[in-house]
Amino acid sequence: MKIKTLFILLILAVSSITVVVVLFLLSEHEVHRNNAFVRRYPHHPITKKYDLPIKYNSYYVSGFDNDILYLGNNTAPLHLLEVNLKTKDTNHIQIRMKSKDLTFQSLKVKMQPPYFFIMDGSVPCIFRGKIGDWNAHLWMKDKAYFNQAMPVDSNKIYINTISSKTQMTTLGLIERQENENINIVLNTDILEKQIDGVFDVDGIMTISPNTGTLGYVYFYRNQFMVMDSNLKLIERQHTIDTVQRVQIKVANLNDNQISKMKAPPMIVNKMAFMYNDLLLINSDRLGKYEDEDMLKEASIIDVYNWQKESYEFSFYFYHIGKESVKEFAVFNDYLIGLIDDKLSVYEIGKKQFNQVSIKQKTIRL
Amino acid sequence: MKATRLTYQYIPNICIVLYIILFVYAATSKFLDFYNFKVQLGQSPVLTAYADWVSWGIPLLELTIAGLFLFPKYVLLAFYASYSLMIMFTTYIIVILNFSDFIPCSCGGVLEKLSWTDHIIFNVIFIAIAVVGVKFSENQLNSKFGNL
Repeated sequence: MKIKTLFILLILAVSSITVVVVLFLLSEHEVHRNNAFVRRYPHHPITKKYDLPIKYNSYYVSGFDNDILYLGNNTAPLHLLEVNLKTKDTNHIQIRMKSKDLTFQSLKVKMQPPYFFIMDGSVPCIFRGKIGDWNAHLWMKDKAYFNQAMPVDSNKIYINTISSKTQMTTLGLIERQENENINIVLNTDILEKQIDGVFDVDGIMTISPNTGTLGYVYFYRNQFMVMDSNLKLIERQHTIDTVQRVQIKVANLNDNQISKMKAPPMIVNKMAFMYNDLLLINSDRLGKYEDEDMLKEASIIDVYNWQKESYEFSFYFYHIGKESVKEFAVFNDYLIGLIDDKLSVYEIGKKQFNQVSIKQKTIRL
Repeated sequence: MKATRLTYQYIPNICIVLYIILFVYAATSKFLDFYNFKVQLGQSPVLTAYADWVSWGIPLLELTIAGLFLFPKYVLLAFYASYSLMIMFTTYIIVILNFSDFIPCSCGGVLEKLSWTDHIIFNVIFIAIAVVGVKFSENQLNSKFGNL
């Protein structure tokens, strides 16, 4: 083969590779970078206490009871891991329940001291039992299907479901009265449709463990809502991000009757957790002057105070190796995160967190 | 010299036929399931922004190259083009596998059933075929061994 031919082949190879790599970098850039907002990173808002190996990566946060953290397990739905955050003692718990030929698909266990709830929205059914006793009894069955659910108090569950009237995702409450009647309340005004009312309103439900305030943070736009425990809207607020319109494309594949995302959606808010007046939101979107490489080492968590309608500060939740935090929660002085098969425990800086969480209803920014 | 002569006649032809089959097949199956193809491309982290024109461009390009193979004058050009296109596909796969948390597949027909490693091997074989094709058709253009 001639030198000239080899040379042409080499040039073609290099330019072909360059074209694809450049396209990739351009579209990466478009997804991540946004120069319209600036984050504030104060010194040491959180201090690492320890990483506790918990053996499996299938755990999720069930809830807290004082210094005890309960972790549920997706692959062993009736198994709980009890972790004493102070002493690091762990204890395995097996929940007992009479399931009467129910076939569960997505059991979740959530704590609401002194009770715990076992919920499966596809059956649908909810069981309730006392923490410490670990016997669950049927609490609700067949009244309402739901996608996600979280207990608000011992007789009330916060749900998100598809409204049969509008065929759109809706927030609601399942309440059980004294006479054991089940009451379903839907509030169709909270989630605001921009595209189809299902994909575009998708988001994260959260409940402040102490106050019973409900929160909902959209995945695909810079907005969140705060509701009281009766699902009455208190606040509709914006995050520091600038994406107001959902940037997803929904395609209906007609022949197989399936709706699919047509492009990878731009996720503005990935995870959220409400704690008293604070709302902690994890976002991978970079603001001005932020180093892209940081996302390889840590997840960014922004702290908002919804009472004050303000953005307070941000901090990094560091990865362990290459694994990033997949769920986090705050309770008392602790910030905890699940990273692969480990539990990361931090102490939150009283200075940063307490200052902003003191109720200051009169001062509004 | 008969063996050489035969080699020079048949090897490029085999390469050409293989490539025509590959491109016509790939392009047709993409067009047949065009909507799905477009959705898959849109989900691709590399091409989201360009999904609309890439979804038309790629199968059209494949058909054009297949067409070029039919004209002896353009065979060399067609091999160069196929070579570049196959390198782009391979780079695309490698980039997606290593740098993205989201892995869609946009190949047509049975090619979709290949695993990613098989895919790379498959592509590398076709890159090699293109190189062989370039070598032989280049010599052929300069030789007297008749046209295809």
